[in-house]
Amino acid sequence: MATVKKPDLSDPQLRAKLAKGMGHNYYGEPAWPNDLLYIFPVVILGTIALCVGLAVLDPASIGEPANPFATPLEILPEWYLYPVFNILRVAPNKLLGVVLMGSVPLGLLIVPFIENVNKFQNPFRRPVATTVFLFGTAVTLWLGIGAAFPVSQALTLGLF
Amino acid sequence: MWLRSAQTVTQKVAIAIVAITVLLAGSLALPQAASAYPYYAQEAYKNPREATGRIVCANCHLGAKPTEVEVPQSVLPDTVFEAVVKIPYDTSIQQIQGDGSKGPLNVGAVLMLPEGFKLAPEDRISDEMKEKMGELYVQSYSDDQPNILVVGPIPGEQYQEITFPILSPDPKSDKSIRFGKYSVHVGGNRGRGQVYPTGDKSNDTVYNASATGQIAAISKTEEGGFTVTIKEADGKTIDETIPPGPELLVAEGQDVKSGDALTNNPNVGGFGQVDKEIVLQSPNRIKGLMAFFAMCTLTQIILVLKKKQVEKVQAAEMNF
Repeated sequence: MATVKKPDLSDPQLRAKLAKGMGHNYYGEPAWPNDLLYIFPVVILGTIALCVGLAVLDPASIGEPANPFATPLEILPEWYLYPVFNILRVAPNKLLGVVLMGSVPLGLLIVPFIENVNKFQNPFRRPVATTVFLFGTAVTLWLGIGAAFPVSQALTLGLF
Repeated sequence: MWLRSAQTVTQKVAIAIVAITVLLAGSLALPQAASAYPYYAQEAYKNPREATGRIVCANCHLGAKPTEVEVPQSVLPDTVFEAVVKIPYDTSIQQIQGDGSKGPLNVGAVLMLPEGFKLAPEDRISDEMKEKMGELYVQSYSDDQPNILVVGPIPGEQYQEITFPILSPDPKSDKSIRFGKYSVHVGGNRGRGQVYPTGDKSNDTVYNASATGQIAAISKTEEGGFTVTIKEADGKTIDETIPPGPELLVAEGQDVKSGDALTNNPNVGGFGQVDKEIVLQSPNRIKGLMAFFAMCTLTQIILVLKKKQVEKVQAAEMNF
Protein backbone atom coordinates (compact mmCIF):
# COMPACT_ATOMS: atom_id res chain seq x y z
CA MET A 1 0.00 0.00 0.00
CA ALA A 2 1.06 3.53 -0.58
CA THR A 3 2.43 5.51 2.30
CA VAL A 4 -0.37 7.60 3.79
CA LYS A 5 0.18 10.07 6.60
CA LYS A 6 -2.78 10.53 8.94
CA PRO A 7 -3.75 14.10 9.91
CA ASP A 8 -2.39 14.91 13.31
CA LEU A 9 -5.45 16.52 14.88
CA SER A 10 -3.61 17.29 18.11
CA ASP A 11 -1.54 19.83 16.19
CA PRO A 12 -3.18 23.22 16.82
CA GLN A 13 -1.53 24.71 13.75
CA LEU A 14 -3.14 22.09 11.50
CA ARG A 15 -6.50 22.52 13.20
CA ALA A 16 -6.34 26.25 12.59
CA LYS A 17 -5.56 25.67 8.93
CA LEU A 18 -8.29 23.07 8.52
CA ALA A 19 -10.78 25.49 10.05
CA LYS A 20 -10.00 27.88 7.22
CA GLY A 21 -10.41 25.14 4.61
CA MET A 22 -6.63 24.82 4.13
CA GLY A 23 -3.85 22.52 5.31
CA HIS A 24 -4.64 19.58 3.08
CA ASN A 25 -0.95 19.09 2.35
CA TYR A 26 -0.31 18.17 6.02
CA TYR A 27 -1.62 14.64 5.56
CA GLY A 28 -2.05 11.99 2.85
CA GLU A 29 0.70 10.71 0.59
CA PRO A 30 3.83 12.82 0.95
CA ALA A 31 4.68 14.73 -2.20
CA TRP A 32 8.42 14.44 -1.70
CA PRO A 33 9.92 12.08 -2.60
CA ASN A 34 7.09 9.62 -3.32
CA ASP A 35 5.31 11.63 -5.99
CA LEU A 36 7.75 14.24 -7.19
CA LEU A 37 10.85 12.09 -7.43
CA TYR A 38 9.40 8.77 -8.61
CA ILE A 39 6.01 9.15 -10.24
CA PHE A 40 6.47 12.47 -12.03
CA PRO A 41 9.37 11.10 -14.14
CA VAL A 42 7.19 8.08 -15.03
CA VAL A 43 4.52 10.40 -16.44
CA ILE A 44 7.05 12.70 -18.11
CA LEU A 45 8.77 9.76 -19.78
CA GLY A 46 5.44 8.35 -20.94
CA THR A 47 4.50 11.70 -22.50
CA ILE A 48 7.85 11.99 -24.25
CA ALA A 49 7.56 8.42 -25.55
CA LEU A 50 4.10 9.12 -26.96
CA CYS A 51 5.32 12.29 -28.71
CA VAL A 52 8.36 10.54 -30.16
CA GLY A 53 6.26 7.58 -31.29
CA LEU A 54 3.80 9.85 -33.05
CA ALA A 55 6.62 11.84 -34.65
CA VAL A 56 8.17 8.67 -36.07
CA LEU A 57 5.05 6.76 -37.07
CA ASP A 58 2.98 9.66 -38.35
CA PRO A 59 5.36 12.47 -39.26
CA ALA A 60 4.03 15.87 -40.30
CA SER A 61 4.07 16.22 -44.05
CA ILE A 62 5.43 19.22 -45.84
CA GLY A 63 2.50 20.80 -47.63
CA GLU A 64 2.44 22.08 -51.15
CA PRO A 65 4.06 25.45 -51.77
CA ALA A 66 1.49 28.18 -51.30
CA ASN A 67 0.17 29.83 -54.42
CA PRO A 68 -1.84 33.00 -53.76
CA PHE A 69 -3.24 32.92 -57.31
CA ALA A 70 -4.75 29.46 -57.03
CA THR A 71 -7.71 29.15 -54.71
CA PRO A 72 -7.94 25.59 -53.43
CA LEU A 73 -11.00 23.57 -54.41
CA GLU A 74 -12.24 23.35 -50.86
CA ILE A 75 -11.52 26.22 -48.56
CA LEU A 76 -11.65 25.40 -44.89
CA PRO A 77 -9.93 27.24 -42.04
CA GLU A 78 -8.29 25.51 -39.10
CA TRP A 79 -10.69 23.20 -37.25
CA TYR A 80 -11.23 25.53 -34.29
CA LEU A 81 -12.64 28.15 -36.66
CA TYR A 82 -15.17 25.78 -38.29
CA PRO A 83 -18.22 27.03 -36.34
CA VAL A 84 -17.70 30.73 -37.12
CA PHE A 85 -16.65 29.87 -40.66
CA ASN A 86 -20.01 28.16 -41.06
CA ILE A 87 -21.82 31.19 -39.66
CA LEU A 88 -19.96 33.42 -42.10
CA ARG A 89 -20.79 31.36 -45.18
CA VAL A 90 -24.41 30.73 -44.24
CA ALA A 91 -25.19 34.40 -43.46
CA PRO A 92 -26.76 36.07 -46.50
CA ASN A 93 -24.45 39.08 -46.46
CA LYS A 94 -20.97 39.72 -45.24
CA LEU A 95 -21.80 42.50 -42.78
CA LEU A 96 -24.37 40.29 -41.06
CA GLY A 97 -21.78 37.51 -41.01
CA VAL A 98 -19.23 39.74 -39.33
CA VAL A 99 -21.81 40.96 -36.81
CA LEU A 100 -22.80 37.38 -36.01
CA MET A 101 -19.17 36.38 -35.60
CA GLY A 102 -18.56 39.34 -33.31
CA SER A 103 -21.62 38.46 -31.26
CA VAL A 104 -20.03 35.16 -30.21
CA PRO A 105 -17.41 36.66 -27.83
CA LEU A 106 -19.77 39.51 -26.89
CA GLY A 107 -22.49 37.02 -25.97
CA LEU A 108 -20.04 35.03 -23.87
CA LEU A 109 -18.90 38.25 -22.23
CA ILE A 110 -22.35 39.14 -20.85
CA VAL A 111 -23.03 35.70 -19.34
CA PRO A 112 -21.17 36.39 -16.04
CA PHE A 113 -22.97 39.71 -15.72
CA ILE A 114 -26.40 38.12 -16.15
CA GLU A 115 -25.56 35.41 -13.65
CA ASN A 116 -23.87 37.81 -11.27
CA VAL A 117 -26.95 37.99 -9.05
CA ASN A 118 -26.40 34.31 -8.21
CA LYS A 119 -24.04 33.63 -5.30
CA PHE A 120 -23.55 29.89 -5.93
CA GLN A 121 -20.55 28.29 -7.58
CA ASN A 122 -22.12 24.91 -8.31
CA PRO A 123 -23.18 24.74 -11.98
CA PHE A 124 -26.42 22.97 -10.99
CA ARG A 125 -27.35 26.03 -8.95
CA ARG A 126 -26.63 28.43 -11.80
CA PRO A 127 -29.29 27.52 -14.35
CA VAL A 128 -28.81 30.46 -16.70
CA ALA A 129 -25.06 30.06 -17.15
CA THR A 130 -25.32 26.28 -17.40
CA THR A 131 -28.09 26.47 -19.99
CA VAL A 132 -26.18 29.01 -22.05
CA PHE A 133 -23.07 26.84 -21.83
CA LEU A 134 -24.78 23.60 -22.86
CA PHE A 135 -26.77 25.26 -25.64
CA GLY A 136 -23.65 27.06 -26.87
CA THR A 137 -21.64 23.86 -26.90
CA ALA A 138 -24.31 22.03 -28.88
CA VAL A 139 -24.62 24.87 -31.40
CA THR A 140 -20.85 25.11 -31.76
CA LEU A 141 -20.47 21.40 -32.45
CA TRP A 142 -23.41 21.42 -34.85
CA LEU A 143 -22.07 24.40 -36.81
CA GLY A 144 -18.56 22.97 -36.74
CA ILE A 145 -19.70 19.70 -38.27
CA GLY A 146 -21.80 21.63 -40.79
CA ALA A 147 -18.72 23.51 -42.00
CA ALA A 148 -17.41 20.29 -43.54
CA PHE A 149 -20.64 19.80 -45.53
CA PRO A 150 -21.61 21.56 -48.76
CA VAL A 151 -23.25 24.95 -48.19
CA SER A 152 -26.70 23.54 -49.00
CA GLN A 153 -26.40 21.17 -46.03
CA ALA A 154 -24.48 23.53 -43.75
CA LEU A 155 -27.32 23.85 -41.24
CA THR A 156 -29.23 20.61 -41.76
CA LEU A 157 -26.14 18.36 -41.99
CA GLY A 158 -28.11 16.52 -44.66
CA LEU A 159 -30.27 14.93 -41.98
CA PHE A 160 -33.54 16.59 -42.98
CA MET B 1 18.16 25.04 -81.46
CA TRP B 2 16.77 24.21 -84.91
CA LEU B 3 17.58 20.61 -84.29
CA ARG B 4 15.70 20.60 -81.04
CA SER B 5 12.62 22.23 -82.53
CA ALA B 6 12.76 19.78 -85.41
CA GLN B 7 12.95 17.01 -82.87
CA THR B 8 9.93 18.30 -80.96
CA VAL B 9 8.04 18.67 -84.22
CA THR B 10 8.78 15.08 -85.18
CA GLN B 11 7.86 14.05 -81.66
CA LYS B 12 4.56 15.90 -81.90
CA VAL B 13 3.85 14.40 -85.31
CA ALA B 14 4.63 10.97 -83.93
CA ILE B 15 2.32 11.58 -80.99
CA ALA B 16 -0.40 12.79 -83.33
CA ILE B 17 -0.02 9.70 -85.51
CA VAL B 18 -0.15 7.47 -82.46
CA ALA B 19 -3.17 9.40 -81.21
CA ILE B 20 -5.02 9.06 -84.48
CA THR B 21 -4.12 5.38 -84.73
CA VAL B 22 -5.24 4.73 -81.19
CA LEU B 23 -8.46 6.63 -81.68
CA LEU B 24 -9.23 5.04 -85.01
CA ALA B 25 -8.27 1.58 -83.81
CA GLY B 26 -10.33 2.13 -80.70
CA SER B 27 -13.38 3.38 -82.49
CA LEU B 28 -13.18 0.75 -85.22
CA ALA B 29 -12.36 -2.26 -83.11
CA LEU B 30 -14.31 -1.37 -79.95
CA PRO B 31 -16.93 1.19 -80.86
CA GLN B 32 -18.57 0.84 -77.44
CA ALA B 33 -15.50 0.88 -75.25
CA ALA B 34 -14.26 4.32 -76.19
CA SER B 35 -16.08 6.22 -73.49
CA ALA B 36 -13.51 7.64 -71.12
CA TYR B 37 -10.29 9.10 -72.27
CA PRO B 38 -7.42 9.54 -69.87
CA TYR B 39 -5.61 9.93 -73.14
CA TYR B 40 -7.17 13.35 -73.72
CA ALA B 41 -5.78 14.55 -70.41
CA GLN B 42 -2.36 13.09 -71.16
CA GLU B 43 -2.37 14.98 -74.43
CA ALA B 44 -3.43 18.33 -73.03
CA TYR B 45 -1.91 18.57 -69.56
CA LYS B 46 1.66 17.99 -68.45
CA ASN B 47 0.49 17.57 -64.87
CA PRO B 48 -2.97 16.10 -64.29
CA ARG B 49 -3.38 18.14 -61.12
CA GLU B 50 -3.96 21.86 -61.44
CA ALA B 51 -2.54 24.41 -59.02
CA THR B 52 -5.92 24.60 -57.30
CA GLY B 53 -5.74 20.89 -56.52
CA ARG B 54 -8.31 19.94 -59.11
CA ILE B 55 -7.56 16.88 -61.18
CA VAL B 56 -8.06 17.75 -64.82
CA CYS B 57 -10.51 14.91 -65.57
CA ALA B 58 -13.08 17.17 -63.89
CA ASN B 59 -12.75 19.58 -66.80
CA CYS B 60 -14.58 17.18 -69.11
CA HIS B 61 -16.41 14.88 -66.68
CA LEU B 62 -18.72 17.43 -65.17
CA GLY B 63 -20.80 15.25 -62.85
CA ALA B 64 -19.60 14.99 -59.26
CA LYS B 65 -19.62 11.48 -57.81
CA PRO B 66 -17.73 9.94 -54.90
CA THR B 67 -14.41 8.17 -55.23
CA GLU B 68 -12.55 6.35 -52.48
CA VAL B 69 -9.02 5.11 -52.12
CA GLU B 70 -7.28 2.74 -49.77
CA VAL B 71 -3.55 2.98 -49.27
CA PRO B 72 -1.46 1.73 -46.34
CA GLN B 73 -0.76 4.28 -43.60
CA SER B 74 2.96 3.69 -44.09
CA VAL B 75 5.20 1.59 -46.31
CA LEU B 76 8.79 0.45 -46.03
CA PRO B 77 11.22 1.33 -48.83
CA ASP B 78 11.49 -0.95 -51.87
CA THR B 79 8.28 -2.77 -51.02
CA VAL B 80 5.34 -3.72 -53.19
CA PHE B 81 1.97 -2.70 -51.80
CA GLU B 82 -1.45 -2.19 -53.25
CA ALA B 83 -3.51 0.95 -53.64
CA VAL B 84 -7.20 0.30 -54.17
CA VAL B 85 -9.33 2.90 -55.91
CA LYS B 86 -13.07 2.46 -55.47
CA ILE B 87 -15.46 3.94 -57.98
CA PRO B 88 -18.90 2.98 -56.71
CA TYR B 89 -22.00 3.38 -58.85
CA ASP B 90 -25.30 1.68 -59.47
CA THR B 91 -24.55 -0.86 -62.20
CA SER B 92 -28.23 -1.08 -63.18
CA ILE B 93 -27.98 2.45 -64.60
CA GLN B 94 -27.13 2.76 -68.27
CA GLN B 95 -25.65 5.73 -70.03
CA ILE B 96 -26.00 7.19 -73.48
CA GLN B 97 -23.38 6.03 -75.92
CA GLY B 98 -21.86 8.06 -78.70
CA ASP B 99 -24.56 7.00 -81.15
CA GLY B 100 -27.42 7.78 -78.77
CA SER B 101 -28.14 4.19 -77.71
CA LYS B 102 -27.92 3.06 -74.10
CA GLY B 103 -25.03 1.05 -72.73
CA PRO B 104 -23.08 0.22 -69.58
CA LEU B 105 -20.74 2.68 -67.94
CA ASN B 106 -16.99 2.53 -68.13
CA VAL B 107 -14.65 3.60 -65.38
CA GLY B 108 -11.20 5.07 -65.25
CA ALA B 109 -8.85 6.29 -62.57
CA VAL B 110 -5.75 8.39 -62.09
CA LEU B 111 -3.44 7.76 -59.16
CA MET B 112 -0.89 10.47 -58.36
CA LEU B 113 1.75 8.97 -56.12
CA PRO B 114 4.58 10.83 -54.41
CA GLU B 115 7.82 11.31 -56.30
CA GLY B 116 9.72 8.03 -56.69
CA PHE B 117 6.77 5.66 -56.27
CA LYS B 118 5.93 3.69 -59.38
CA LEU B 119 4.05 0.75 -60.78
CA ALA B 120 5.49 -2.51 -59.45
CA PRO B 121 7.36 -4.56 -62.04
CA GLU B 122 5.65 -7.77 -63.14
CA ASP B 123 8.10 -10.14 -61.38
CA ARG B 124 7.60 -8.54 -57.97
CA ILE B 125 3.82 -8.72 -57.89
CA SER B 126 2.51 -11.59 -55.79
CA ASP B 127 0.05 -14.04 -57.32
CA GLU B 128 -2.61 -12.92 -54.90
CA MET B 129 -2.24 -9.32 -56.01
CA LYS B 130 -2.22 -10.38 -59.66
CA GLU B 131 -5.56 -12.05 -59.12
CA LYS B 132 -7.02 -8.90 -57.60
CA MET B 133 -5.67 -6.80 -60.43
CA GLY B 134 -7.20 -8.91 -63.13
CA GLU B 135 -6.40 -8.18 -66.71
CA LEU B 136 -5.80 -4.55 -66.01
CA TYR B 137 -3.49 -2.50 -68.14
CA VAL B 138 -2.06 0.32 -66.06
CA GLN B 139 0.06 2.92 -67.77
CA SER B 140 2.04 5.83 -66.44
CA TYR B 141 0.78 9.30 -67.25
CA SER B 142 3.89 10.19 -69.19
CA ASP B 143 7.41 8.89 -69.63
CA ASP B 144 8.95 11.35 -67.19
CA GLN B 145 6.18 10.90 -64.61
CA PRO B 146 6.18 7.21 -63.71
CA ASN B 147 4.66 8.15 -60.34
CA ILE B 148 1.35 9.12 -61.97
CA LEU B 149 -0.67 6.10 -63.04
CA VAL B 150 -3.64 6.07 -65.35
CA VAL B 151 -6.10 3.32 -66.10
CA GLY B 152 -9.18 3.24 -68.29
CA PRO B 153 -11.54 3.16 -69.92
CA ILE B 154 -12.45 -0.25 -68.54
CA PRO B 155 -15.85 -1.87 -68.00
CA GLY B 156 -17.25 -0.60 -64.72
CA GLU B 157 -19.15 -3.76 -63.88
CA GLN B 158 -15.90 -5.63 -63.21
CA TYR B 159 -13.75 -2.78 -62.02
CA GLN B 160 -15.57 -0.80 -59.37
CA GLU B 161 -12.46 -1.57 -57.34
CA ILE B 162 -9.21 -1.04 -59.16
CA THR B 163 -6.09 -2.46 -57.53
CA PHE B 164 -2.78 -0.82 -58.39
CA PRO B 165 0.42 -2.67 -57.43
CA ILE B 166 2.90 -0.02 -56.31
CA LEU B 167 6.61 -0.21 -55.62
CA SER B 168 7.92 2.21 -53.02
CA PRO B 169 11.28 3.88 -53.64
CA ASP B 170 14.41 3.27 -51.62
CA PRO B 171 16.18 6.39 -50.28
CA LYS B 172 19.35 4.31 -50.01
CA SER B 173 19.65 3.78 -53.74
CA ASP B 174 18.03 7.05 -54.80
CA LYS B 175 19.39 10.04 -52.90
CA SER B 176 16.62 12.38 -54.02
CA ILE B 177 14.05 10.37 -52.08
CA ARG B 178 13.57 11.08 -48.39
CA PHE B 179 11.62 9.31 -45.70
CA GLY B 180 8.52 11.16 -44.59
CA LYS B 181 4.87 11.70 -45.23
CA TYR B 182 3.58 12.48 -48.70
CA SER B 183 0.22 13.12 -50.30
CA VAL B 184 -1.49 10.80 -52.73
CA HIS B 185 -4.09 12.30 -55.05
CA VAL B 186 -6.65 10.06 -56.65
CA GLY B 187 -9.31 10.71 -59.22
CA GLY B 188 -11.94 8.19 -60.24
CA ASN B 189 -14.46 8.53 -63.01
CA ARG B 190 -17.44 6.64 -64.27
CA GLY B 191 -19.31 7.34 -67.47
CA ARG B 192 -18.61 9.47 -70.48
CA GLY B 193 -17.38 13.03 -70.56
CA GLN B 194 -19.56 16.02 -71.25
CA VAL B 195 -17.01 18.13 -73.08
CA TYR B 196 -14.25 17.25 -75.50
CA PRO B 197 -10.82 18.82 -75.03
CA THR B 198 -11.62 21.03 -78.00
CA GLY B 199 -14.52 22.53 -76.03
CA ASP B 200 -17.23 20.78 -78.06
CA LYS B 201 -20.07 19.20 -76.17
CA SER B 202 -20.54 15.46 -76.29
CA ASN B 203 -24.02 14.02 -76.63
CA ASP B 204 -24.01 13.11 -72.93
CA THR B 205 -24.79 16.56 -71.64
CA VAL B 206 -27.46 19.25 -71.46
CA TYR B 207 -27.97 21.54 -74.44
CA ASN B 208 -29.00 25.14 -73.88
CA ALA B 209 -30.64 27.77 -76.02
CA SER B 210 -28.10 30.22 -77.40
CA ALA B 211 -30.67 32.94 -78.08
CA THR B 212 -33.87 34.38 -76.63
CA GLY B 213 -36.95 33.90 -78.75
CA GLN B 214 -39.67 31.50 -79.78
CA ILE B 215 -39.11 27.98 -80.96
CA ALA B 216 -40.23 28.07 -84.56
CA ALA B 217 -39.56 24.50 -85.56
CA ILE B 218 -38.19 21.21 -84.31
CA SER B 219 -37.04 18.71 -86.89
CA LYS B 220 -35.39 15.32 -86.61
CA THR B 221 -31.96 14.87 -88.08
CA GLU B 222 -30.74 11.82 -89.92
CA GLU B 223 -28.59 10.61 -87.04
CA GLY B 224 -31.54 10.64 -84.66
CA GLY B 225 -30.95 14.01 -83.08
CA PHE B 226 -32.93 17.22 -83.42
CA THR B 227 -32.59 20.62 -84.95
CA VAL B 228 -34.34 23.26 -82.89
CA THR B 229 -34.96 26.52 -84.70
CA ILE B 230 -35.28 29.55 -82.44
CA LYS B 231 -36.80 32.70 -83.90
CA GLU B 232 -35.55 35.84 -82.21
CA ALA B 233 -37.67 38.94 -81.66
CA ASP B 234 -36.04 40.72 -84.60
CA GLY B 235 -36.88 37.86 -86.94
CA LYS B 236 -33.45 36.21 -87.06
CA THR B 237 -33.55 32.43 -86.78
CA ILE B 238 -30.94 30.31 -85.07
CA ASP B 239 -30.58 26.57 -85.48
CA GLU B 240 -29.56 24.51 -82.48
CA THR B 241 -28.31 21.06 -83.42
CA ILE B 242 -28.80 18.44 -80.76
CA PRO B 243 -27.13 15.09 -81.30
CA PRO B 244 -28.93 11.83 -80.53
CA GLY B 245 -29.01 11.19 -76.82
CA PRO B 246 -30.46 13.97 -74.72
CA GLU B 247 -34.26 14.22 -74.59
CA LEU B 248 -35.97 17.41 -75.66
CA LEU B 249 -37.72 19.41 -72.95
CA VAL B 250 -39.19 22.09 -75.22
CA ALA B 251 -41.99 22.09 -77.78
CA GLU B 252 -42.73 24.15 -80.86
CA GLY B 253 -44.15 27.57 -80.11
CA GLN B 254 -42.55 27.76 -76.69
CA ASP B 255 -40.69 30.90 -75.63
CA VAL B 256 -37.14 30.34 -74.45
CA LYS B 257 -34.56 32.61 -72.94
CA SER B 258 -30.90 32.47 -73.80
CA GLY B 259 -29.26 29.87 -71.58
CA ASP B 260 -32.46 27.90 -70.93
CA ALA B 261 -32.10 24.15 -71.14
CA LEU B 262 -33.50 22.68 -74.34
CA THR B 263 -32.84 19.12 -73.28
CA ASN B 264 -32.56 17.10 -70.11
CA ASN B 265 -29.14 16.19 -68.75
CA PRO B 266 -28.60 12.53 -69.62
CA ASN B 267 -25.32 12.28 -67.72
CA VAL B 268 -25.44 9.52 -65.09
CA GLY B 269 -21.72 9.32 -64.42
CA GLY B 270 -19.30 11.62 -62.76
CA PHE B 271 -15.85 12.23 -61.45
CA GLY B 272 -14.60 12.36 -57.89
CA GLN B 273 -11.22 13.01 -56.39
CA VAL B 274 -9.77 12.33 -52.98
CA ASP B 275 -6.50 13.02 -51.20
CA LYS B 276 -4.71 10.59 -48.91
CA GLU B 277 -1.40 10.57 -47.15
CA ILE B 278 1.20 7.85 -47.07
CA VAL B 279 4.34 7.59 -44.94
CA LEU B 280 7.55 6.27 -46.45
CA GLN B 281 8.89 4.71 -43.29
CA SER B 282 12.50 3.87 -42.47
CA PRO B 283 13.02 0.44 -40.89
CA ASN B 284 15.87 1.85 -38.81
CA ARG B 285 13.61 4.50 -37.33
CA ILE B 286 11.17 1.80 -36.29
CA LYS B 287 13.96 -0.18 -34.66
CA GLY B 288 15.23 2.92 -32.88
CA LEU B 289 11.72 3.73 -31.72
CA MET B 290 11.26 0.21 -30.36
CA ALA B 291 14.56 0.45 -28.45
CA PHE B 292 13.55 3.85 -27.08
CA PHE B 293 10.14 2.53 -26.00
CA ALA B 294 11.78 -0.43 -24.29
CA MET B 295 14.14 1.93 -22.48
CA CYS B 296 11.30 4.20 -21.38
CA THR B 297 9.23 1.29 -20.11
CA LEU B 298 12.19 -0.16 -18.21
CA THR B 299 12.93 3.23 -16.63
CA GLN B 300 9.30 3.63 -15.60
CA ILE B 301 9.19 0.18 -14.03
CA ILE B 302 12.44 0.81 -12.15
CA LEU B 303 11.13 4.15 -10.86
CA VAL B 304 7.96 2.54 -9.55
CA LEU B 305 9.96 -0.28 -7.93
CA LYS B 306 12.25 2.25 -6.32
CA LYS B 307 9.24 4.12 -4.99
CA LYS B 308 7.87 0.93 -3.50
CA GLN B 309 11.21 0.29 -1.84
CA VAL B 310 11.32 3.81 -0.37
CA GLU B 311 7.77 3.36 0.89
CA LYS B 312 8.84 0.27 2.78
CA VAL B 313 11.69 2.21 4.39
CA GLN B 314 9.29 5.03 5.23
CA ALA B 315 6.85 2.58 6.79
CA ALA B 316 9.61 0.89 8.82
CA GLU B 317 11.12 4.10 10.09
CA MET B 318 7.77 5.91 10.43
CA ASN B 319 9.61 8.82 8.87
CA PHE B 320 7.42 10.84 6.58
